[in-house]
Amino acid sequence: MKSRDVFSYSFSAIRLRKLRAGLTTLGVVIGIAAIVALLSITQGLQDTITVQLRKGFATDTLIVSTGGGFGAGTAGRIGADSGFKLRINYTEIINGLSPDIDTSIAIIQRGGWIKSGEGERVTTIVGVDFAQYADIYGSTFVNESGEIPLNPENETVVVGKRVSDPWKNETLFCNVNDDVEIKWTNATNPFQPINETYTGHVTGVLQEIGGFGVGGPSDSSLYIPISQAQSFFGTDECNMIIVKLKNDDKATIDSVSEAIRNAFNKEVSVISATAVLNILSSVFSIIQLFLAGIAAISLLVAGIGIMNIMIVSLMERTREIGILKALGMKSRTVLLVFLCESVIIGLMGAAIGIGSGWVLANIVAIVFHGGGGGIFMGNQAGVSGGMTITPVLTPTVFLGALVFGVGVSVVFALYPAWRASKLKPVEALRYE
Amino acid sequence: MTAIVEAVNLKKTYMLGKVPVEALRGVNLKVESGDFLAVLGPSGSGKSTLLNLIGALDKPTEGKLLIEGVDVSTLNDNQLAGLRRRVGFVFQFFNLIPRFTARENVELSMSIADIGRAERRKQAEDVLETVGLKERMNHKPAELSGGEQQRVAIARALANNPRFLLMDEPTGNIDSKTANEIMGLIKRINEEKGVTIIMVTHDQRLATQAKRMVQMFDGVITREIVN
Repeated sequence: MKSRDVFSYSFSAIRLRKLRAGLTTLGVVIGIAAIVALLSITQGLQDTITVQLRKGFATDTLIVSTGGGFGAGTAGRIGADSGFKLRINYTEIINGLSPDIDTSIAIIQRGGWIKSGEGERVTTIVGVDFAQYADIYGSTFVNESGEIPLNPENETVVVGKRVSDPWKNETLFCNVNDDVEIKWTNATNPFQPINETYTGHVTGVLQEIGGFGVGGPSDSSLYIPISQAQSFFGTDECNMIIVKLKNDDKATIDSVSEAIRNAFNKEVSVISATAVLNILSSVFSIIQLFLAGIAAISLLVAGIGIMNIMIVSLMERTREIGILKALGMKSRTVLLVFLCESVIIGLMGAAIGIGSGWVLANIVAIVFHGGGGGIFMGNQAGVSGGMTITPVLTPTVFLGALVFGVGVSVVFALYPAWRASKLKPVEALRYE
Repeated sequence: MTAIVEAVNLKKTYMLGKVPVEALRGVNLKVESGDFLAVLGPSGSGKSTLLNLIGALDKPTEGKLLIEGVDVSTLNDNQLAGLRRRVGFVFQFFNLIPRFTARENVELSMSIADIGRAERRKQAEDVLETVGLKERMNHKPAELSGGEQQRVAIARALANNPRFLLMDEPTGNIDSKTANEIMGLIKRINEEKGVTIIMVTHDQRLATQAKRMVQMFDGVITREIVN
């Protein structure tokens, strides 16, 4: 029997029982849709985070911290606290470690509030050397209005775009030349936290960055001179030191990272953009695998449904199989007829499932768009701002879903199809 | 004349649970090309079993069955399927595929034999014309009378130009008037087209219309009559 005839015969059998075939297909549709929706959303999330991370995290920089944050993998310790303090003047030690180091700057960072008029907003207060910071993050630490003074006064404040325009509608919370009150809670003595405040003067508003501020500037932070931060927060410790390298070769990154770690007896974590992206990639791979695994369970349930329906169909069509065999159909062709039915169901289910999954992913993305609040990692790498997730359906996911949908259908149809092919014609013809 | 079918001491034993049932107990039979043989016998005499063996639907337990000189017991599953494609089967209960039209039912046996679409469409129309059903070829079995359904079944059996037709009580499920028409058709196919026919029946009146008849009883041929 020609393959086109096998297909046509199988299709006629499916068409005969539309409702049953439809419900069986629905099982595959749900399974595939779940897989596609989850994977494309996760992929979209990964891409969004990666892109934003790249914006806010130059590849030729390293972040030195006392652990925590992203300090995983080759970076060493995770969040351990040995009492080691990273001090602002350690930049001098770091600068002398390698000729590959261009410069390094310390960053002091605290969660706090900014008050303008009657309004008050949560923000991240970042103390940096404006000149050096602008040098490292030349493309993002750029003023949209006002100016970023290279030799700022103590009261100078530069705010991120979302601090100035939090509602994205030009109704400004604060603007250039505004006097604002900056506040943080000093909890050195946790039993007696003290609210510290001072009045700053906004000299500049940054242009919109859109990225996450991992060391680099972010839309939801405000920037004050490092000397002011030192006195305001009452510390000479910094949260991190950003090291700018002369190039972003892997060898340079590795050797400088090692030199810095050794210089501080491995008490510090040194992370690079590449390392963060790699970690992120592996974390997302695990998440994707996990989610796909959960979704695959529903597809397996659909597979059992297919098997069930095929067995019922086999019993109903035993006599028909007898007729086919009496007319000279080979056992192999009977097997193919049944497998072809499952392939049709699998293909239709997978195709509709991929489409539905894609639509579902987009609906989820639309629903969550704008609702994405701040995500904070550790106390150093503030990731904030509304995120737009664009679901991504990669060719791998598309083909994988198609193959998986058809594969599951075929695998679960194998047994009923094999049984059908093994029916003895004379017995099948007698079957009532 | 050449023997198309030759059975030598053919035996078939079924297991009914744990009890062996001897359906055929040594049948010797020779059917030659162009013959029209009626196998007559009461229920349980083994005539349908004999027909199933000749049609390669089943394998004998003992003895030799030669179809066109080839011993059926030496054939594997695929070869048996190939043999069945060269045999035309007509069943008492028509055994048409309900979802297919008359023409599609006829075409089915040809598509199984790998015949292309255009050729089988033409051939289907030709054989349906032979059985007088060309006008009704686009009707499904449920829309046809018993006699018409049996004509479709005969057309289907003829579609692949078989070496011989095997008919199991072909008129057993239709009224006597239509049965006579069907018998007339069968005789015409035998006489005009030269197709060898082996027909199983329990109706002596029909059996006498064949060229030759054998009587079966308890799994053996008890009598042979040339009409």
